[in-house]
Amino acid sequence: MVIGAGIAGIQASLDLAERGIKVELVEKNACIGGRMAQLDKTFPTNDCSICILAPKLAECSRHPNITLHTLSEVRYVEGSVGNFTAKVLKHARYVKEDVCINCGTCVEKCPMRVEDDFDMQLRKRRAIYIDYVQGVPAIMTIDKEKCLWFTKSACRICEKVCEREAIDFEQQDTEIELNVASIIAATGYDVFDPTPIIYLGYGRFPNVVTSLEFERLISASGPVGGHLIRPFDKKEPENLAFINCVGSRDIKNNPYCSSCCCMYTTKEAMIAYEHNNKIQSSIFYIDLRAGGKGFRDYIQRGRNDYAITYINGKVAKILQDEQKNPIVVYEDTDTFEVKKLKFDIVVLATSMVPKKDAVRLSEILGISVDEYNFLKSMAYHPQKSSKEGIFLCGACRAPMDIPNSVVDASGAAAKAAEIVMRV
Amino acid sequence: MGFLCNWCSYAGADLAGVSRIQYPTNIRIIRVMCSGRVDPTFVVDAFLHGIDGVLVLGCHLGDCHYITGNYEAEIKMSSLSKLLNIVKFSDRMQLDWVSAAEGNRFAQIVSEFTKHIQELGPSPIKENKTKTQCIDDLEAVKSVLESSRLRGLIARQRDLVTEKNVYGNQIPAEKFENLLNDAIYNEFVRHKIVIKIKEIGKSVPDIANEIGIKAKEVLEHIVVLRSRGLVDVHEINEEIPTFISIRGG
Amino acid sequence: MSSEDIRIGVFICHCGTNIGGVLDVPSLTDYARSLPNVTYSADNLYTCSEVGLTEIKENIKEHELNRVIVASCSPRTHEPLFRAICQEAGLNPYLFEMVNIRDQDSWVHMKEPEKGTDKARDLIRMSVYKAALLEPLERVKVAVTHSAFIIGGGIAGMTAALNLGNQGFKIFLIEKEPELGGLLNSLNKVFPSNEDASKLLEIIDMIESHDNIKLYKSSVIENITGFVGNYNVVIKQNKKTINIDAGVIIVATGAIPLSPEGYFGYDKKKIISQLDLERLLKDDQVKANNITMILCVGCRNEERRYCSNICCMSAIKNAMLLIEKNPNTHITILFRDIQAAGTDYEKYYRRAREMGILFIKYLPEKPPIIKKDLVDVYSDLLNQDIKIPQDLVVLSTPLIANEDSEVLAKMLKVPLEENNFFLEAHVKLRPVDFATDGVYVCGSAHWPADIAESTSQANAAASRASIILWKDQLEVEGSTAEVKTELCIGCEACIRICPYSAITKDEETDTAIVNKVVCKGCGLCGASCPKNAIIIHHFTSDQIRAEIFTYGGEI
Repeated sequence: MVIGAGIAGIQASLDLAERGIKVELVEKNACIGGRMAQLDKTFPTNDCSICILAPKLAECSRHPNITLHTLSEVRYVEGSVGNFTAKVLKHARYVKEDVCINCGTCVEKCPMRVEDDFDMQLRKRRAIYIDYVQGVPAIMTIDKEKCLWFTKSACRICEKVCEREAIDFEQQDTEIELNVASIIAATGYDVFDPTPIIYLGYGRFPNVVTSLEFERLISASGPVGGHLIRPFDKKEPENLAFINCVGSRDIKNNPYCSSCCCMYTTKEAMIAYEHNNKIQSSIFYIDLRAGGKGFRDYIQRGRNDYAITYINGKVAKILQDEQKNPIVVYEDTDTFEVKKLKFDIVVLATSMVPKKDAVRLSEILGISVDEYNFLKSMAYHPQKSSKEGIFLCGACRAPMDIPNSVVDASGAAAKAAEIVMRV
Repeated sequence: MGFLCNWCSYAGADLAGVSRIQYPTNIRIIRVMCSGRVDPTFVVDAFLHGIDGVLVLGCHLGDCHYITGNYEAEIKMSSLSKLLNIVKFSDRMQLDWVSAAEGNRFAQIVSEFTKHIQELGPSPIKENKTKTQCIDDLEAVKSVLESSRLRGLIARQRDLVTEKNVYGNQIPAEKFENLLNDAIYNEFVRHKIVIKIKEIGKSVPDIANEIGIKAKEVLEHIVVLRSRGLVDVHEINEEIPTFISIRGG
Repeated sequence: MSSEDIRIGVFICHCGTNIGGVLDVPSLTDYARSLPNVTYSADNLYTCSEVGLTEIKENIKEHELNRVIVASCSPRTHEPLFRAICQEAGLNPYLFEMVNIRDQDSWVHMKEPEKGTDKARDLIRMSVYKAALLEPLERVKVAVTHSAFIIGGGIAGMTAALNLGNQGFKIFLIEKEPELGGLLNSLNKVFPSNEDASKLLEIIDMIESHDNIKLYKSSVIENITGFVGNYNVVIKQNKKTINIDAGVIIVATGAIPLSPEGYFGYDKKKIISQLDLERLLKDDQVKANNITMILCVGCRNEERRYCSNICCMSAIKNAMLLIEKNPNTHITILFRDIQAAGTDYEKYYRRAREMGILFIKYLPEKPPIIKKDLVDVYSDLLNQDIKIPQDLVVLSTPLIANEDSEVLAKMLKVPLEENNFFLEAHVKLRPVDFATDGVYVCGSAHWPADIAESTSQANAAASRASIILWKDQLEVEGSTAEVKTELCIGCEACIRICPYSAITKDEETDTAIVNKVVCKGCGLCGASCPKNAIIIHHFTSDQIRAEIFTYGGEI
């Protein structure tokens, strides 16, 4: 059983399935793909994220050895290595999976507008929806919390307009039992909410955004089609600031390093520049952590070809002028002066944090968490959890980038295969 | 007509559909696995059959599903473009990159290209006045692109220019470019000569006149073409030889 | 097959109103029937529904159809389904074609139904002309040797060997040195647990006693031939030549620490390398109270632009050990950027600072100067020159690629990046694969890696390898390239252009030959062949031209 169908869970599942091993892939969301589906491009190659992910999504849904359980949560696990029993709660989708063809007629007609979490609430979706257009499985889902039928016993327009009669308000949540030899947790991460760091102004200043919000803004499939504008006043920005280590390497919040921010802020600045080469970016950093393959050259390219300035120093606070332009106050390490710089948008590189239900999952699985609540892995065998037969991969065990998650996922698959071969 | 690679641009076109982005109906898409599969002669064939414009779309450079396919496409289309430039068709062909996430971009490229072609008007091959000339020109272009000399150069371009230590040394990009440009121009003229004297034997001055180049140049090409066994002396009238193409030579 | 024998069935989908609401589907159906070789045409409300699929199967039988076309949505999502249906009805799946009249027609021309229908008419006609030229293709099958050849007996190679061995595969592990262990043999303790390196080397016993693992120590590779599932390796051990058959190959050759020869007056006595320090620590021979460590020696410079990723942590580790041994030791670490990504390493770095280790960031343009008893360094943070007393200077140098990487890369036909580390198939999603199937990379051969990274990659490579190894046969895509031997002049253009090394030269006939198992069907070779001697099956030039000609028509 693989828990979580982001890039790590998908890779682990595909490896195992291709290896001839049956996989139960359990995903909490309506679509698989996870965080990677939200990204526009990926460093250091600037590959388009969905282009390289989509074939894997399709493979996952089609593979005869993979059973996909979307909208599903692991509720209870018992047993030990070689013989685990898991109880999985499958939430009702209220759409018949094998009938819906994702034509979108229902979406057009649905009267409820709801904050779109996939787009970091930068646009509205409907109460019947698909997370993103290339989503897999390519079928609609009714958001029970928001649907007028479930909240006010009214509407049912989707049911009327669906030519295929795919809507089924009678569907019930079900619980299934899975018997598996090994378990891989690949539940990923949450994003740090910078609101409590008052001095950064997030939530108060409209042009201070998080890196994932910015990612959606520059994404070709995002709310503004990748043509960067300030969501606040539709102004085309020309001066961007990126603040690294927001919520990370910070004793008051998360003492650890979030490990990808140095690279992804560089990437986001590059993409912004590609859309509009009048854009200049400043990246405020403590250490530039660019130890991966080709990462140093990437930073150098950012500096030389994409008008990125790297500023070594910690930001003291962010202010805002009358036009709502954010102003970064920082200490210049060269001159010891406190300086102020005005920007059009400030992007906060918020750290990856453990899933909010990580502790609960660890209790269900009977494994340990580390001092930060990431699922705890063994120092020199990072895919091993504290319990035999249960493996970890990707950002559920520590912040990491895509290639490391993929390596981790394949590694966990190898360890799980070892167990399956033994039983 | 559009040639779209399966992995990025075709997926981008599908995304335009899923997103219901409207664009002109003029395009007909042929799906290929990789933009590098598009043989330049396909494009010429399209023009020879009266198609007004051709788009070749691949993954962004660096994103190719087959690693280097779109670089090869770029090389091929660059040589094709030079040849089409000689016969004034290069405006009707465009190579571009569309990712699977760029439904908007796909629609935009198609819209702009359609508008551009509409401004150019229908292909001159469909007008009686220019038809024969166009056919001759495009046939010559096609012959050049089918010739093993040019195909050989194009096929090796990336290897010769960018890869190190092939045959011990690397050819400077500029030097290769000159070599390629010479080959493109000379081969085009040669194939044009072959076409001009396909049916009737003609003298060097006559050929020079028809093609619009110097007689001396024609003679040099005739020498090469004779050595390749493509052309021979037809007859000699008043000490002036006429030449004719050898069928299947 | 002569053209009279071709019987095409065209199924046109309404997709509810998605297509039928815009395009005139009944007229398209009539039109399809009027086209050459079309025996049958019909429209369905949903071709992909049970009803629609059954209809295809029944009509294949009833009308003896030998080509099937579905005009509906995108082949990217639905071609596999329809191909499977054709196969169930006894039709070769490559005799199926799909026309995209929804995503690329009705959905994008919603306000121009007539023009959209004209477009669909053209697309269907193009498909019919292509379909007439389709050929049945077979998926080639080749047997697989269920064994792995692993190059390098360091922690990465051993971890991969152990995993695959435990999965039940036969392993041949080759090591050029007389002993297993690689770089770990030269280390004292390891970060971030600070336990003895020898503790991690306990894996050696497991390897040496493993039933499935055959070891070749003090051995070198002479030659590698073959392809995925069927490699043959010739090795030499003590002048003895040994032939090994293996289905896959894993490169785990590691990297070597750069010697600081020529940097900062390296003299192995008062100015030593981190590796020298490891040995001194192991033997408890460190006699110094003021120690300065300089990081990034010989890297992040003009010659080697890269960051070696692991040196910060190993310097911090040794600094900690020195202080633990003698709390009165003063240690200063001169760094450029501290690489301490993630949870454990950042904590380790913080612990080091708490222990009193002094960290000073230096600028490459103002490097530290070593004087007698002192190191002079400009601190960017304090904006002043600092003099640090020293009686020992330790230089951290990067890991650099093994010098025999180039030879090995040539033998395996896999690429190296500019620093001579092995270059994987895809930086993001195929980090341990090569573009060449059946060859994998892990550990520092790929990029400087610490132990956790090396073992992770080793297990990952094992996982990828096991996908090949467990199969008795590899079944490969039927739509591949094929060389028409009689036309080939042996110019090798295709060999150079193929991204997968799928084409080799038949020495006897001096012609190119495509290995169908390795070929991915991209078609680069076909579009490039100077003699047009290569057929790209399922996307042949004739098939593509048929589409072009019928759309353009006669002029």
